[in-house]
Amino acid sequence: MIREEAVKIVMSMLEKNVEGLKMSEDQMGKTLVDIGVDSLDLMLVIMDVGEAAGVAITDDQAEQLDTPEKIVGFISQ
Amino acid sequence: MLGIQNIASYIPKESIDNLEQADRFVTDREFVEQKIGVSSLPRFSESDTVVRACSEAFQNLCKKESIESSEIECVVLCTQNPDGGGLPHNSALIHAELGLPEDCACFDIGLGCSGYVYGLSVIQSFMLANGMKKGLLFTCDPYSRILNPEDKNTCLLFGDAAAVTLISDTPRYTLDGAKFSTKGSGGRALQKVDGQLEMNGRAVFNFALQDVPKQIKGLLEKTELKTEDIDLFLLHQGSRFMLENTIKRAGIPPEKAPIDLAETGNTVSSSIPLLLEKELANSPNKILMSGFGVGLSWASAIYKLVK
Repeated sequence: MIREEAVKIVMSMLEKNVEGLKMSEDQMGKTLVDIGVDSLDLMLVIMDVGEAAGVAITDDQAEQLDTPEKIVGFISQ
Repeated sequence: MLGIQNIASYIPKESIDNLEQADRFVTDREFVEQKIGVSSLPRFSESDTVVRACSEAFQNLCKKESIESSEIECVVLCTQNPDGGGLPHNSALIHAELGLPEDCACFDIGLGCSGYVYGLSVIQSFMLANGMKKGLLFTCDPYSRILNPEDKNTCLLFGDAAAVTLISDTPRYTLDGAKFSTKGSGGRALQKVDGQLEMNGRAVFNFALQDVPKQIKGLLEKTELKTEDIDLFLLHQGSRFMLENTIKRAGIPPEKAPIDLAETGNTVSSSIPLLLEKELANSPNKILMSGFGVGLSWASAIYKLVK
């Protein structure tokens, strides 16, 4: 998957699942906690991103994905 | 024809303030209230036991229905945390406590959050096969007995309760179809290790959101019904966030699926009968119930009002 497409998926799933969150490029490197994603939101975001990208994300892999950029990197591998 | 005649419950008087627990775990109170959805967790007192809680639930049932103890031919208890480690089986102890006749079958079922849907099917099938007319299905699973007091993933969720369902030949609701599923390979997501409950929250969450909606849709297909044909969806009350998203993914209109766990928390196999007890007064025509958890095990069934 090309990066642009991965960015689009991650941003849209974050906005869909985190109330009031408006994503921008400068937030991609921030930690998910810092942009207001709690632990439950994160589980939903990871599930939705995995389904939208057609990628299986294991628990151990999900634990490492603590910024939007890392999620993008993972699904565009 | 056998089915559900009535339901009663027992909620212990003692409880834990979940917001104070949130402070203890340095967890945001709003997160506990809004996302977990539980502000108070009923807890067994030192004098509470599974047998006593079930007996209390039965006394409450007797306030609603005229029950002759001599007519009870079957007692089934669903629990994974029985008194005395389950030996003797607690249904026999309940039998003694309630003074039931010797001609009465008693056995326990060891299932978690799918236990009520399974239990209903088991007791009805058993009674039907053996020509019985009146039986009691108890659910009581005091998870407080196995909680690790330092584990916020589980301590903020589970409450203690008991429920009893009267199964009889003069039912208000009868079974219209069911589906049962198991994913034993995922069983470690909820397990007891060294006497304490361990939960992989992410695995349970993924299971609830991905597998349960598929089963609900599959059951509707199997019974040739549509979502609009069902008046009430009673889903196991695990946590608010998990429920809201399971409901959404199953395509269920939120107004048809009550979320009511603020004062009870997750009461395991008692969560569905606690809800159903409240909803019986409204006499919904068709009810779909779905329980899911330990196993991983999940079960959904449709019950229809007898007219």
